[in-house]
Amino acid sequence: MDTPHHFCRLEQREGQATLFLAGDWRLPRLAEIDAALAATEMTALPLTLDGAELAALDTAAALALLQRVAGAGASVEGLAGFNASHKRVIEAVRARLLDTATEGPRARRVPPLALIGMHVIDFRGLMEGHLGFFGRSASALGDLARRPRALRLKELTAQFEQTCIKAIPVVVLVTFLIGVVLAYLFGMQAEKYGANILVVDAVAIGTCRELSPIIVAVIVAGRSGAAFTAQLGTMLLTEEIDAIRTLGLSPMQVLVIPRFVALIVALPLLVFVGDISGMAGAMTVANPLLDITPTTFIERVHAELNLDHVTVGLVKASVFAAFIAIIGCRMGMTVSRDSRSIGINTTSTVVQCIVAVILLDAFFAVLFQEIGI
Amino acid sequence: MNTAVPAIEVDSIVTRFGDQTVHDGVSFTVPRGQIVGMIGGSGSGKSVLVREIIGLLQPTSGRVRVLGTDVWSATEDEMAALRRRFGMLFQDGALFSSLTVEQNVATPLIEHAPVPPHLLGPLVRLRIALAGLPAEAATKMPSELSGGMRKRAAIARALALEPEVLFLDEPTSGLDPITARGFDRLVRFLCDDLGLTVLLVTHDLDTLLGIVDRAIVLARGKVIADGPVRDVCRVDDPWLQSYFHVRRMLGG
Repeated sequence: MDTPHHFCRLEQREGQATLFLAGDWRLPRLAEIDAALAATEMTALPLTLDGAELAALDTAAALALLQRVAGAGASVEGLAGFNASHKRVIEAVRARLLDTATEGPRARRVPPLALIGMHVIDFRGLMEGHLGFFGRSASALGDLARRPRALRLKELTAQFEQTCIKAIPVVVLVTFLIGVVLAYLFGMQAEKYGANILVVDAVAIGTCRELSPIIVAVIVAGRSGAAFTAQLGTMLLTEEIDAIRTLGLSPMQVLVIPRFVALIVALPLLVFVGDISGMAGAMTVANPLLDITPTTFIERVHAELNLDHVTVGLVKASVFAAFIAIIGCRMGMTVSRDSRSIGINTTSTVVQCIVAVILLDAFFAVLFQEIGI
Repeated sequence: MNTAVPAIEVDSIVTRFGDQTVHDGVSFTVPRGQIVGMIGGSGSGKSVLVREIIGLLQPTSGRVRVLGTDVWSATEDEMAALRRRFGMLFQDGALFSSLTVEQNVATPLIEHAPVPPHLLGPLVRLRIALAGLPAEAATKMPSELSGGMRKRAAIARALALEPEVLFLDEPTSGLDPITARGFDRLVRFLCDDLGLTVLLVTHDLDTLLGIVDRAIVLARGKVIADGPVRDVCRVDDPWLQSYFHVRRMLGG
C-alpha cells in the first residue's frame, strides 16, 4: 500500500525545487494522489518534475498534479526522468490546462415574473399553432372531399383497428365498473326513500349523457392521443416525415387525416359500447342490491331513456375525438430533434387532451341547457 | 498493469438468429496497445460481434475474454469492475439527450471514480478538450451539436474513466474527411500516449490505411484475413479485392 508520502516528495535547494513522483498515478487512486499533493507544501519556486520512479501515469492524475502546481503559483520549468509516454501524457494535459480552467457559459436564471410571462406567450403560441394545424387539417379534409380517392384506406383501417377495436376491452371493463359503482351509490340514497327504480333513470341518463363520453374520451386520450404523438414524433426524428414530403406526398394526407378520421369514427362507437357496458354493470348489481330484476331494468330504460341523451353523448364524443386527434398529431409533428422531447410532448398531449375534454364537456353542458336538449 | 494478459480474446464464437448464422466460429486475439480494425461487408456481423465482446448480447456459443475476464461467465460484480476498464463509442454517439455534454462526461466519473469534488469540473473539461471539442460545447445539449461534435462528446464520455480498452463502432461514419482524419489522430494519440488498446469497426479506408496496426476481416461468418493492412489487401477474396479496388481506382 502506498502511503501519501510515497506518491510525491518535494526537495528545495538554491531557489530551485524538484518534485519527485512515484507509484501508480492513475484514476482509481486519484483521491489519495490529490491528498498527497495537498499535503505537500508547494512553493512558488520554478519547479522541476522528476518522474523516474513513476509506475503509471494517466491524464486524470497528471491534471491533479498540474492543477496543484498552478494553484501554488509555481511553474513547471522542466521534466526529468520521465519515460517517453509519461512525458507525452504530461504534455498533452499541459497543453489543455487552460481549457480545463474556463467554465462554459451557464444558463441564466429567469426571474419568476418573466417566467410567468414566458409561459403565457408559450401558451398563446401553442393555441395559435393548434388552430393553424386545425385549419390545415380542415383544408386537407376539403381536398379529400373533392378527391375521395386520395384517402389512404389501408392506413385508415389500421388506425381504426388500433384506436377502436383494441380499445374495446379496456372501455368495457372501466365503464362496467363505473356502472356498478354508480348503482351502489345511487342505490344507497334511493333506498331511504323507497325510490329504488329511480336508480335506473339516474344510471342510464348519467352514463349515456356524461360519464361514458368523458371516461371513454379520457381513456382514448391516454391511449391514442399519446400514441399519435409518439408515432409521429419518432417518425419526425428518423426523418420519415421529411422523406414523405420529399417524395411529393403530404404528411397531412398520409399521416394526419387517417388518424383524424379514424378517431372521429372510433370514439362515438366506443362511447356507445361504454353506454351499454355501464348500464350492464348497473343492471348486474341492481338485482341483488335493489331488487330490480333485469327485465324491470330494461323496461325502465326503454321508458325513461330519451334518445336525445344518447345522441348528445355521441355528438360530444366526436367533438372530443377531433380535439384529441388534432392535439395528438400536432404535438407529434412539433417535437424537437431529440428523444427527450418525444416524452415531454407525449405527456403534454395527454394533459392537453384531458383538459380539453373536460372544458368542452362543461361548454356542452351549458350549451345544451340553453337550447333545451 | 499485467501486460501478459491480452486485451481481447475471442474464441470460436457462434451466433445464430433463428436459422440465420451470423458467426460460425470466429476467433482472434488482440494484444495490448494495438489499434485493430474490423472490416467486412454490411451484415457480416461486425457490430454484433462488438456487442458480444462488451457483454450486451450473448453469443450462441463460444468464449469472450476482455482483460482476462470471461465476459459471459463473470459474476455481476466482476462485470461491473470490468466495465470501468473499457469504453465504448456507439455508432450514433448514444449521448444522454437530457444531459448537457458536461453532465454526460461527468456521469461515469461520478458513478465510478473517487474524484475529489474540486477536480471533477477540470477533469470533465480536460476530457472534452482531449476529444477536441471547444470549451463552449460543454454546456450545450446533445441536440444542439453537429454529428461530428456529438461523436467527439461521446468519445469524451467513453474516455472518462481512463479505460484500458476502447471499442469504436464506425467512429468516422457520417463525418467529413477533415474531421474524420482529426478523429484518427485522436485515436492514434490515445493508443500511443495513453496506452489504450482500440478495437474499431470501420468502413473507412483512410482510417484503415492511416492508423490501424492490424485488420481483421469478417466474411461468411468467419475471419477470412487477419494481419497488417498491406498483407490483408493481398488476400484473394472477391469482397476484399473489390473493397481495396475502390482505393486503387482513386489512385491511393
